[in-house]
Amino acid sequence: MFNFRIVVNVIGALLLMLGAFMLALAPFGWIMNSTEGIFSLFLSGLLTIVPGFLFFWFTTKADKSIRKKEGFAIVALGWIFVSLFSSMPYHFSGVFDHPVDAFFETVSGLTTTGATVLEDIESVPQLLLLWRSLTQWIGGMGIIVLTVAILPLLGVGGAELFVAEAPGPTSNKIHPRIRETAKRLWYIYVGLTAILVLALSFVGMTVFDAINHGLTTMATGGFSTKTASIAYYEQPLVHYIITLFMFVAGVNYTVIYFGVKLRWKRVLKSDEFKTYVIGVIALVLSLTLYLYFNEQYDLERSFRTASFQIVSIITTTGYVTEDYTSWSPLISLLFFCLLFSGACAGSTSGGIKVIRHLVLFKNSLLEFKRLLHAKALIRIKIDGNVVQPRVMTHILVFLLLYLGTFVIGSLVMSTVLYDFDEPMLSAMGSVATSLGNVGPSIADLGPVDNFAAIPLAGKGFLSFLMLLGRLEIFTVLILLTPYFYRTN
Amino acid sequence: MKIVISGAGAIGFHLAELLSKENQDITLIDRDLDVLRQADRHLDVLTVHGDVSSLEVLRQANVGDAKLFIAVTTSEATNILTSVLAKKMGAKRTIARISDVDKLHDENRQFFEKIGVDVLISPQQLAAQEIKRLIERATFTDLFEFENGKISIVGFTLDTSSPIINKTIEQVDNLDEEWKFRGVALLREHKTLIPKGSTLLQKGDHLYLSAKRESIERVKKFVGRQLKDIRRVMIVGGSSLTLITAKELEKEYSVTVVLEDEDQAKYFVSQLHRSLVVVADPCDVDALKEEGLEQMDAFIALTPNFESNIVTSLMAEEMGVYKTIALVENVNYTHISQNIGIDTIINKKLIAANSIFRFVRKGKVEAIAGLHGVSAEIIEFVVHKTNRLLNHPIKNLHFPDKSIIAGVVRGDQSFVPEGDSFLELGDKVIVLALPEAIHKLEKIFK
Repeated sequence: MFNFRIVVNVIGALLLMLGAFMLALAPFGWIMNSTEGIFSLFLSGLLTIVPGFLFFWFTTKADKSIRKKEGFAIVALGWIFVSLFSSMPYHFSGVFDHPVDAFFETVSGLTTTGATVLEDIESVPQLLLLWRSLTQWIGGMGIIVLTVAILPLLGVGGAELFVAEAPGPTSNKIHPRIRETAKRLWYIYVGLTAILVLALSFVGMTVFDAINHGLTTMATGGFSTKTASIAYYEQPLVHYIITLFMFVAGVNYTVIYFGVKLRWKRVLKSDEFKTYVIGVIALVLSLTLYLYFNEQYDLERSFRTASFQIVSIITTTGYVTEDYTSWSPLISLLFFCLLFSGACAGSTSGGIKVIRHLVLFKNSLLEFKRLLHAKALIRIKIDGNVVQPRVMTHILVFLLLYLGTFVIGSLVMSTVLYDFDEPMLSAMGSVATSLGNVGPSIADLGPVDNFAAIPLAGKGFLSFLMLLGRLEIFTVLILLTPYFYRTN
Repeated sequence: MKIVISGAGAIGFHLAELLSKENQDITLIDRDLDVLRQADRHLDVLTVHGDVSSLEVLRQANVGDAKLFIAVTTSEATNILTSVLAKKMGAKRTIARISDVDKLHDENRQFFEKIGVDVLISPQQLAAQEIKRLIERATFTDLFEFENGKISIVGFTLDTSSPIINKTIEQVDNLDEEWKFRGVALLREHKTLIPKGSTLLQKGDHLYLSAKRESIERVKKFVGRQLKDIRRVMIVGGSSLTLITAKELEKEYSVTVVLEDEDQAKYFVSQLHRSLVVVADPCDVDALKEEGLEQMDAFIALTPNFESNIVTSLMAEEMGVYKTIALVENVNYTHISQNIGIDTIINKKLIAANSIFRFVRKGKVEAIAGLHGVSAEIIEFVVHKTNRLLNHPIKNLHFPDKSIIAGVVRGDQSFVPEGDSFLELGDKVIVLALPEAIHKLEKIFK
């Protein structure tokens, strides 16, 4: 029997949490001396808390068991509800003309995509910009993980939710209890964000900007308080600090946890982490050399730009210091391919993720060995452990679904974007960047452009793709399969 | 010395045999009456029937008075438990046979020492190390190292191409000005000889030479066979010995493991990181050929079926595999397998028993008895008192006829002594002796 009441109950709890964030944010208006938008935040907070409370209250006696079905339903529906309610502050303050724009901006935030429809970011009230950054920060670690961490109410079923929201082929457990695991993840998250904010304000960012960029960097989100993104800041140190923290945010939090605990053996045991490090270094070096020899940049600038842009795209953050589409078709294509990469599983980054690429690459390579040794038992190993065939299939199916979604999405978007200068490339780029939760794209939606010009239908569709990508496809699509509604 | 042995399996039985010949007081405990009866009949030991983990049985065996308690049943848990019990009951020193090699790590050893198990012995680990040593020195059929290899004794069979055929031992000893060798034992037609300077070497002789580590490379030339470094190794059989051996070997060699059971293979795959694991019948020649048997440098047969180990090793030999090693624990086969061409026979139970034997004796003993039917022992003595040993050159020390000094380790140095050399205090003297001479030797060094 599908436990509908617990789904309502947990979504109520999520909304309560969200409302609390909104109300907590309002007083910052007075602190920052910029009260514009404070009313809309207050109102949204109330309008979120009231239904949340009602949802929660009328189902308090619900059976607390969350099985797989309820888990998927809670996560998928929870994200949709949270997205809808989170867009309210934009409505009430009138930042956007159309609710779809507000929804797009919210989903882009929560899914840590960072694509914006704002054409002039500086003109938006500061309080709303802070809310915008906060949505990314909440979405980065996942509001359900947060709820699991803080509210004991989820108790037994926590594991199902945790797996559905923070999916991935690797186990993220660093504590026998899921709640303790979630808490530790949030400690790391909050801690790193705080360090980054301090570091940024130390090298010359205003406190407000430092907070915003701190929130969106650790979430690998990419919303900036400047229309020009990070390019606005000329201090090289700002670039380097953000590069470093984007890189760290792309590392599996389990690995970071072991790093913080100084258990280096465990850190170095992670094949994904090693691949990530080596891959980023290789890409940065190649791009540095390319820029140095072809763009007449000096060596420092080549290195800084290369490392910033590569890390920004690989970790699916999407900050911009320079327009990578302006260099050459080769580099544009390289960045387009990187939209599919993603950083480590169990980080705040999106995309396909390094671990899946690694498994697929190793497996493809071993296929040749299998052809030569028909009778041999050849299994791929990650971190010294055999990858079970079941996991292998799951990864393969994920990749196929991901690419399938990309193809279909591109077809849809090239219809929607028919009057763009380069409709095909823009469509492919927009779909890839939305699915991967990256932000910038190529062609007409490059790093220096924004998504405002996309028709409303396109914005709605891309929002859906972002959610699909953030919840790693299965969690959303499973609600559309008949199996979900049948008992057998 | 009173010694209690728990478990009269192959290791326990062999150990009881070795030790009772040494005039030690052995008590053998086992659950199996038949085995005990056999022990009563053949060995000069006391037997106690019962469950070894029972306190009653341990008391009956008088464990409290034992100088040494040796637990060598097949169950690791029982061995550890009974060792701890024996220690608490008053046994001076305890040795337990284990199967999980992880317990052999230094920190784990210390832990076990604290709870009362002084020495851990893993037959599989010892056998795996033996195999690794043999692969490293593939030219030789056996290799014994003393004091971390400062003195080694190597055995090899002389075939027609060997340059030292028809030479006397004296000629061989002085073949190289710089490097000293000593022919310490000779196996000729199932008889063990301590060669004299005038002994002439013949084709088919199995010669044991002692040398310093640095000279080992020179000894290789004497063997006569084409020299070859081992790179590719095939191991057949799915026992835990295979797994441990493959783990040891895969660090340096390209290893292919062939075994029959698929579930076992899955487990092997999860444990081995570089080896290729193939699921096939180890006796299926075509399957082995498919996996490149002909290109292998070494073939190691470790299935539980000794007959098929012998046969597959011969097959590999036939196909030109340079080095073959077979697990044969049936002593009756040992002789014949050597004669029909298998390079080396591994008997993990004998290796384990011999290894335990070392702890028991006053000096350290490495026994070659049983391996090739050479009935000699290599014993390491320490000169720990100033006495007449130091006052005369070695040739005047009146060592028994059936013994020979293979080498001397002095501090970090080692050498093969001449008749005119003197011993010094603290020297470790490695002596090869036939059983008759051992008692006399012990007196000399006492």
